[in-house]
Amino acid sequence: MSNTATRIRLAGAVVAAAASIAGLAACSSPAPSGDAAAAAPAAACEPAKGNVTLQYWNTVPGMDQVVALWNKNNPNIQVEMKNISNDQYGTIGNALKAGKAPELAQVGYDELPDLRTQNAFVDASACADATAAKSKFVPWTWSQTSFGDTGVFAFPQDTGPMALYVRSDIFKKHDLEIPKTWDEYAADAQKLHDADPNLSITFFDPNNAEWFNGLLWQNNAEMYGYSGDKWHVTVESDQSKQVAEYWQKLIDAKLVRTDLAHGSTPMYAAYQKNQIATYVGAAWGYSMFRDNLPDQSGKWTIVPMPTWGSSAASGDWGGSTVAFMKGNTHLYESVKFNSWLNTDPEALALENKLGGLYPAATAGSALPALAEGVPYYNNEKIFDVFADSSKNIDTSFTWGPTQKTVNLALQDALAKAAAGDGKLADALTAAQAAALKSMQDQAIPAVAGN
Amino acid sequence: MTDIATRGTRVVATTGGRSRHNGGGPRAGTIIAFLIPFFLPFVLFYLVPIAYAIGQSFLVVRRTGGQYGTSYTTFGGFDQYVQVFQNTEFWNSIGRIGLFGIVQVPVMLFVALIMALLLDTPLLKLKAFFRIAAFMPYAVPGVIAAIMWSFLYSPQLSPVVDVLKAIGLQPDFLGPGAVLWSAANVSTWLWTGYNMLIMFSALQAIPQELYEAAKLDGASNWAIAWKIKVPIIAPSIILTTVFSIIGTLQLYGEPAVLRQISSNISSTFTPNMLAYAVASGNNYQQAAAISVVIAVVTFVLSFGFMRLTSKRAGL
Repeated sequence: MSNTATRIRLAGAVVAAAASIAGLAACSSPAPSGDAAAAAPAAACEPAKGNVTLQYWNTVPGMDQVVALWNKNNPNIQVEMKNISNDQYGTIGNALKAGKAPELAQVGYDELPDLRTQNAFVDASACADATAAKSKFVPWTWSQTSFGDTGVFAFPQDTGPMALYVRSDIFKKHDLEIPKTWDEYAADAQKLHDADPNLSITFFDPNNAEWFNGLLWQNNAEMYGYSGDKWHVTVESDQSKQVAEYWQKLIDAKLVRTDLAHGSTPMYAAYQKNQIATYVGAAWGYSMFRDNLPDQSGKWTIVPMPTWGSSAASGDWGGSTVAFMKGNTHLYESVKFNSWLNTDPEALALENKLGGLYPAATAGSALPALAEGVPYYNNEKIFDVFADSSKNIDTSFTWGPTQKTVNLALQDALAKAAAGDGKLADALTAAQAAALKSMQDQAIPAVAGN
Repeated sequence: MTDIATRGTRVVATTGGRSRHNGGGPRAGTIIAFLIPFFLPFVLFYLVPIAYAIGQSFLVVRRTGGQYGTSYTTFGGFDQYVQVFQNTEFWNSIGRIGLFGIVQVPVMLFVALIMALLLDTPLLKLKAFFRIAAFMPYAVPGVIAAIMWSFLYSPQLSPVVDVLKAIGLQPDFLGPGAVLWSAANVSTWLWTGYNMLIMFSALQAIPQELYEAAKLDGASNWAIAWKIKVPIIAPSIILTTVFSIIGTLQLYGEPAVLRQISSNISSTFTPNMLAYAVASGNNYQQAAAISVVIAVVTFVLSFGFMRLTSKRAGL
């Protein structure tokens, strides 16, 4: 940005601030008139006359190199990117408020309904390439980015199909079989604890709602539904209680640790000291262990997530989309770039190598890098496990429009329970109440239950 | 140098001559020119945000058009404030920092006072070293200090915990009961030196003649410290208390960092953390109301304390 531009913008800010003092009494935004209130029609999809520059904000390590590759081959559609990993949703939210959102931005699946409720997206379904992209992505990802095929608001980028990371050496030492169900997992937890009280099968981080939600997803515990012009809040359900009660038992019997925050230095230290035997994680976690615990190379194996009874269902934890943001006047070009970024094998391979992304595109599993054995994991083809997991993820799972608030409430209550004040199942009650309250605050029509 | 000195004199002259010139003419221009560097940022980055927050706190969100309809804000009276006062998490956070302040502020200021008095006695050697050493923690950015302490608290990483375990103790610095005091310890470590320095510089300003007179009257060092030094620097002690009350009410950094490794610090642990959590959930109006309430409470408590103490101390 040139200095002149900065100065003009600054001057504008001064004027705007002065105006805002004058207009404070009337600072509420006016109610939209009848026409404006109707659902906004899909924006037009016309190619621009001249060259176009798109802004793309993301948090992916190495994404600058992927963008450079695109820019080299597409002189007419140049992409400028900005890394916003410092404060992803704060940055996006502020830009939206200021009317300065980029054309494209990285948004996690669980934040899609939240941001759409803030009118953050444009519908790209006027672009033929956008609607045709449906067949290229894993079904649940498309279901979430298209909000059940009601538009095209984002393209899926990566996913976090879940699996179980196992320290095979510890399991061998204590003569344990790889658990196939959660019941077997609990039995193994008891055996490990009996053999060595300082050894836990895993840890339960109460401050990680995203992980807990992945467990709920696996058990088909739908948190939200939409019908009759209303959200139906079912955070507290029989399925979610089953998950909460399962982990409550493990915590009560002191079979899992509750003092470790996911991804923190103490967590890695506990793994380093061989105090924990498994990790219930997502595909993107493979590089965490590889990079943070190099000494344990060859000791880990990755197997399917333990299941609930005979159901093969798995869960997803994390992953992101690249959304078409409000004010985007270059949808045609944005779709072209977004489509290349998330389905082109060369781009996907680079994103996997540099950023550790596990692609949401179905073509992703055919990438050479994902078909090979991984040295850290005894040259096992770990991505086959994640590909199978991905196929077993419930496609109808829906996130809520105030997910961030609900996640915080869930975490606070899970933490209380983990510290002995109440039960994990109570946290579901708290999260259910927080969901209804936050939706009421945002004037979003909602009811409890189906 | 000369230029600045001349200007300085002119300002004094201008202020002094206000009654004669009644503020008009080129001198008013000079005053304005000198005040603008302060007032412009003060208005832009202080008054405007406060006014904006107050404005936001009287709004509520409404929506038309169903699931993903269009939202707008409208005047809601005291609705947001009613919700703040009905929110148990808000009262819990106030209770928490109340407890924190009642214990941490007196402890910190007492330690700071003792250190300042020690530095002021002729008995102590290596004064410059101790002064710098005590002030050093303040030079460490608060977040860095909190990260450092969080490593000392973590049972996985801490040599302190290892030593305590070796002698048979089972410390849990991050447990639900202890974590508030662990945060208080970080604040104390960070701010004691700073408060000590304010008190110490007040001590330095006391004329030596007073001590000589006291000595002639047979006062011991102890009596000089408690009967002369402390009463004279009372205004500094009051000032540091007010700063500490404000700092406590605005507590955010230390618990927010400890939260990274301890789930026993909730997202609503302090009022500021609550406001942040509410704002991150897009409820800016409610967050604004919480901020206004915190500001009013801070104002009442700090000015209330000053009035109370100034009457008592006869200042």
